[in-house]
Amino acid sequence: MLKIIGLILTLIIVAPVYAIDGTALLKQVDRNLNPESYESYRKLINIEPDGRKKEYTLFTVKKGVDKVVSLFLTPASEKGRSTLRLGDNMWLYIPNVAKPIRITSIQSVVGGVFNNADILQLDYAAEYNVEKVDETGGEYLLFLKAKTKAVAYDRLKIWADKAKKLPTKIECLTEANMLIKTLYFKDIKDFGSGLARPAVIETDSPLYKGYKSVMIFAKVKERDFKDEVFTLTFMPNIESLR
Amino acid sequence: MRKDRKKIRTLFFISFAFCFFLLTSLPVSAEEKYTFDISETEKKPYSFGGHAEFRPVLFGLDRDTSLYKLRFYNRDEGSAIEELNAKLQLEGSLEKGIARVFIRMNMDYKLSYLGEDHEAAIYEGFLSLKPSSSLTIDMGKKILKWGKGYAWNPAAFVDRPKDPEDTELSLEGFIVASADYIKSFNSHLKTVSFTPVVIPVYENVNDDFGKLNNLNFAGKLYFLLFDTDIDLIALAGDSKTARFGADFSRNITTSFEVHGEFAFINDYKKKFIDSNGNIFEKEYDAKSYLIGARYLTQKDTTYILEYYHNGTGFTAEEMRDYFSFIDKGYNTYLLSGSDALLKKALNITEGNYGKANSMRDYLYLRVSQKEPFDILYFTPSITSIFNMNDNSFSISPELLYTGITNIELRLKASFIYGERLSEYGEKQNDYRIEFLIRYYFGI
Repeated sequence: MLKIIGLILTLIIVAPVYAIDGTALLKQVDRNLNPESYESYRKLINIEPDGRKKEYTLFTVKKGVDKVVSLFLTPASEKGRSTLRLGDNMWLYIPNVAKPIRITSIQSVVGGVFNNADILQLDYAAEYNVEKVDETGGEYLLFLKAKTKAVAYDRLKIWADKAKKLPTKIECLTEANMLIKTLYFKDIKDFGSGLARPAVIETDSPLYKGYKSVMIFAKVKERDFKDEVFTLTFMPNIESLR
Repeated sequence: MRKDRKKIRTLFFISFAFCFFLLTSLPVSAEEKYTFDISETEKKPYSFGGHAEFRPVLFGLDRDTSLYKLRFYNRDEGSAIEELNAKLQLEGSLEKGIARVFIRMNMDYKLSYLGEDHEAAIYEGFLSLKPSSSLTIDMGKKILKWGKGYAWNPAAFVDRPKDPEDTELSLEGFIVASADYIKSFNSHLKTVSFTPVVIPVYENVNDDFGKLNNLNFAGKLYFLLFDTDIDLIALAGDSKTARFGADFSRNITTSFEVHGEFAFINDYKKKFIDSNGNIFEKEYDAKSYLIGARYLTQKDTTYILEYYHNGTGFTAEEMRDYFSFIDKGYNTYLLSGSDALLKKALNITEGNYGKANSMRDYLYLRVSQKEPFDILYFTPSITSIFNMNDNSFSISPELLYTGITNIELRLKASFIYGERLSEYGEKQNDYRIEFLIRYYFGI
């Protein structure tokens, strides 16, 4: 009897040590991908089934959990365009044409497989709750559910490397578990200041058969910005932050 | 004139042949490793770029309409006319410390039945000082882009009116001194910004803005409150009568946005003509407003719908009187050879009846489909403007392709329908077909 009680007590004490705190793990994955506030440069490449490509270069700054702004540097046809995200609000500013207009997360300002939510990505923990964490070999598999209906993908499945706590693959799904797209995280690179993260994200989608989009990161570094930078009025001036 | 037509047709042929060559000779590259040359991210203290475009247009004329009679009473151009437009827009900037100088120049060339015409203007040219991320001070010629409407902006008191048929056309600014002060908060009120503007109106300085020898003041107060963009706008000074405005924009869901705009113009003076050619002036407080929505479906179809009430516009009766007077002038010309009445009508048309959508109530609908049939960068759309006062309307299908880096190709047609003495029914064209090729460049 004493042995059984001892076993139960041992299990009660030991079990929490082995249970994975999904939320903490997701926050760790977020921090390993980016500092909370940072600047970066990205190249987006859309590749068509016949190999034809279109490339865009962006300068991006992010602050806290819900503020991101991106400025297009190339090609010339897009230069000076900027996109701003404040939580669920998104705007597009086109320099000589019109004032900032509201856009949505499921649209894409660049065409191709990446949509605005992918380009103006917030922390995963800011938009999703962790429903379950599985362990498969050297990886965690996190099952995420969107906190609100305003989020672009209702569900995410994140495969993360156990040792590095960095994603290797993310499946973006609808509420009915239909696959919208898959993101593949590749080519881990040291960006300095202790940040080593995948420098390349590839994506494909069953909705765009044969098409592929790629995002390449450069010069990711921690930097703090004033809140005023993430406003509609400041959108024409993002270039001054570089 | 015959020479001009031959020249226009040759240029039509060359531009179509060039586009065919572009579309059929796109480079196809094999799979390769992705590269990101860091030098692409280096910031230069200067920038230079712009775009060049060719835009041939074919107009199908309706020889029975009032506006055809007004413009073609003394000439016969047949049932269709061609026009070739070319544009070069150059822009550059220079930045040092907190200061930046920016200039945008526009050069237009037109070859039409009237011969050659060209025009050059500085659209924007200003010095910008940015002592902090909260404050920007601009001095020079610039566009302010106020208002939230897609097709119309009744509250854009310091901008030139945009063309609802081509809302993305860049516009010429006014010479102003302005500032932007921004403050952010961590509450339901996320942002407040204030934009005061001074608009001098003197000889050769903004002399088309309003009465000369006045200094005018405008201001915009912006709030992002409960995820809603809200602007309060005012214009005061003696060049124009005082006016006040407000606008808002908000996403109800991620794919459904609503917006609105309101403008109040104190003591607006409207000039109109009766069917006998008597010109009247009426002074009243004009109220204009707009309400609109934008909806994106799961299949990437975007719907934009707007209702616009133009408080400064003409009633259906006033418009009928104007068209009747033109018809009377034309009949007089046929009988006596005198074009005095037609010249009088032409005079009151400019900047008055001739303005885009110069009547009272309009509906705007634009439906665009992004990348149908898996054709990347291809967007077909259809736009319609419906005049609710006389049931006349325009309908414009459009094909846009942006798949070649820095090149935009657009084919657009416009067809108009309306009874006699209605706005669209009396336009000089039955249809218009235009092709645009635009090339962007920059360093």
